[in-house]
Amino acid sequence: MKKLNTKLLFTGALAASMLAAGCGGNENASGNNEGNDAETGNNQEASSDGDKILIFNNSEEPTSLDPPIGNDEYSYSILNNVMEGLTRLEKDEPVPEPAMAEEWDVSDDGLVYTFYLRDDAYWSNGEPVTAEDFEYSFKRLADPETASPAAHHAYWIAGAEAFNEGEGSEDDMMVEALDEKTLEVTLENPVDFFESIVAMPQLFPVHKETVEENEDWANSPDTFVGNGPFVVSEWENDEYLFVTKNEDYWDADTVNLDGIEYVMVEDSNTAYQLYQNDEVHITDIPSEMAGELIDGPETAVYPRSGIEFQRFNVEEEPFHNRNIRAAFAKAINAQEIVDYITQENQPVMTGYIFDDFAHPAGGTYREHAGDLHEFDPDEAQQLLEQGMEEEGYDTLPEVTLSYNTDDTHHTVAQAVQEMLQQNLGVEVTLENQEWAVFLDAQRDLELQYSRSSFLGGYNDPMNYLDNFTTGNPMNRTGWSNEEYDQLVSEALSEPDPETRFELMAEAERVFVEDYAIVPLYYYNSTFLEKPEVTDVVRHPVGFVEFKWADLE
Amino acid sequence: MLKYILKRFAWMVLTVWIIITLTFFLMHAIPGDPLDVADVGSSDAASANLAAYYNLDQPLAMQYVTYLKNVVTFDFGPSMTSRSRTVNDMIESGFPASLQLGLATLFFSVISGVVLGVFAALKHNKMIDYLTMILAVIGISIPNFIQSMLFINYIAVNVEFFPIARWGTYRHVILPAIALASGPMAIIARLTRSNMLEVLTQDYIKTAKAKGLSTMKIVVKHALRNALLPVVTIMGALTAAVLTGSFVVERIFSIPGIGQYFVNSISNRDYPMIMATTVIYSTILVVMMFIVDILYGLIDPRIKLHSKED
Repeated sequence: MKKLNTKLLFTGALAASMLAAGCGGNENASGNNEGNDAETGNNQEASSDGDKILIFNNSEEPTSLDPPIGNDEYSYSILNNVMEGLTRLEKDEPVPEPAMAEEWDVSDDGLVYTFYLRDDAYWSNGEPVTAEDFEYSFKRLADPETASPAAHHAYWIAGAEAFNEGEGSEDDMMVEALDEKTLEVTLENPVDFFESIVAMPQLFPVHKETVEENEDWANSPDTFVGNGPFVVSEWENDEYLFVTKNEDYWDADTVNLDGIEYVMVEDSNTAYQLYQNDEVHITDIPSEMAGELIDGPETAVYPRSGIEFQRFNVEEEPFHNRNIRAAFAKAINAQEIVDYITQENQPVMTGYIFDDFAHPAGGTYREHAGDLHEFDPDEAQQLLEQGMEEEGYDTLPEVTLSYNTDDTHHTVAQAVQEMLQQNLGVEVTLENQEWAVFLDAQRDLELQYSRSSFLGGYNDPMNYLDNFTTGNPMNRTGWSNEEYDQLVSEALSEPDPETRFELMAEAERVFVEDYAIVPLYYYNSTFLEKPEVTDVVRHPVGFVEFKWADLE
Repeated sequence: MLKYILKRFAWMVLTVWIIITLTFFLMHAIPGDPLDVADVGSSDAASANLAAYYNLDQPLAMQYVTYLKNVVTFDFGPSMTSRSRTVNDMIESGFPASLQLGLATLFFSVISGVVLGVFAALKHNKMIDYLTMILAVIGISIPNFIQSMLFINYIAVNVEFFPIARWGTYRHVILPAIALASGPMAIIARLTRSNMLEVLTQDYIKTAKAKGLSTMKIVVKHALRNALLPVVTIMGALTAAVLTGSFVVERIFSIPGIGQYFVNSISNRDYPMIMATTVIYSTILVVMMFIVDILYGLIDPRIKLHSKED
């Protein structure tokens, strides 16, 4: 009897588990199926009505849709289209134009900005956007309790840095709502680019009441409150996020799309297949296909403020010597790296600061500042001899080039190794480390000579110069130069734009000539875009804009 | 039996505790700052504020106590990479997809593995045997990510029925499940085959044949049950592995599962997520092992669960 029972139990258990496996799977899948069908049904229905839905591959889930928290491309490529700051960068040029602020005044000393908000600025919950919301949001960005990784973007405002460091108080941060629609901001320095700083997602406003009531407000389309050209309407984590046109947006007439579906397809090859199959309108180019696709008809290339370079540790031999550093820098042919390895037509650096920043006297920054660096193997050879003589070296101390583990970085490092061997006769050892380990080591000045990159955040050369002031967390070279620090700080407090640009160009010259870094190339943003997609705006700084985009 | 279960349960808790303790200290020993792996150029003050937010400014022993508390209450707090979402949210939203894919994989690999194994054994040294074993070798030796890419590039692109990637309908499950199942299927087929071959030579099978029972009856009723024991053994680890998702296959097919967190949490130094994935995987694993041990006794009464003193 007992035996029979166990037997029954076993068969029962087996059958049950099979059933559970089979049916459970099916049930769940078909449950999803219904949901998805309904939804694709909607989309199809929508598109048969002539609705314009753009499908954009966002690659990853946004980190957060809370402006001071997200702080990365995955979050801000969405946020930039569902929210809006005091200003927004224009369609054709990266120049700030009125957005939530209809107009603004600047005091004569360049320190006090008064923004007048437009009357027809509304939150997606119907309430008006007020100066108080902005005051609250700017203070929230700097508040140590918020613990925003982007807090330094508030430091332009007087008192913000002290508040963030836990020394000052909220009341000492100089941002104040004078009335419902007037906001007064007092700056630490008279920086004329503050009007494009307030276009950045880090300084987007949040709806004060919503945020105070519910700290998880940004996690769901039901609680998210925005003020941009689109509103968040659906969100399946790690799958897709759907936004629809905001009819109450003040400039709704300009918006052509009815909606955007941000899909999160991480693998660029899979995304490419989806693109080929017309399931996605815009996606990245898989890096191994760059050479093949870069000149293709559906490839869109946008300049990007950001640089690929190498850092020397100037506290370590042999790179404490300027001439040896210069020799290395001049022996590396960045054009070949771009032509044969990265293959995305990136412009080679002839200085340090991004070339295309607008100069107040007209033209670009680089046209005024001139070229400061070029590949020159003969001069490199001379510089090396000179440097070795200065240091009394018969042979150069061992040099190790470190990079974070990645196929492209590996190939670039090998090419650099080869160039240094050919042009200088120097043997360089290569070493790769996992990204976080590498970053830690670079910050602690443990690497002698290392691969580096920098992505620009705001629309001014100061964004670059700031990095190499003494003790800046981005410095990571041990390089410190009084003249440079002096020039940068003078530039910061200079109210006249042209004089300021002269000071910055001078600082750049001091920096590049001392070769704490090897300049390589500026970044590009490259995408595959279906021919029917028009007017997607991507400036060298900032994030993708769909406000003007259209599908034909 | 109850005493045995209680004893095993205590051991399970102890095992999980040792695993999470080791993981905790190991992950803190790896170099790398979890708060700025994106290298966004945060100021020192902002980094310090963030460290305080995640209690990383406290001594390690304190953090350990907090973690143990979190594990016991199964509340891992906010993730360090997606700060707005808690680790629990992320697991909850990703687990159903991994579970569905895992169950489909399990179902497919066990059924086809056993069937193929039995046929191969019955037709020993015949064409079908060789074919099955060739299939098994292919299944084991072609990694699932290669299969996935081949499936996308050659099947999904050409056959309208199969979506290229993403998630939502039963059709999205088939290709990734096959890619994931082929390896385990091959192992199960080989195990079943060799055990069947052994069992089929036993005296009681001869007796059954002599009694004039049909092959079908002999196989299903008498041979298979004994031949399945080793298969059950690997089922524990296999179930734990497939239910917790696959980093590569989920990534390639863009499936919103939890497989990604097992790998990304470590490269992002996302401490709460590392702990969560560790706890989930180790718990499923020890529970499956326990179930397997119980099943042994049910399948083969000769195996005793408890020693005589018990």
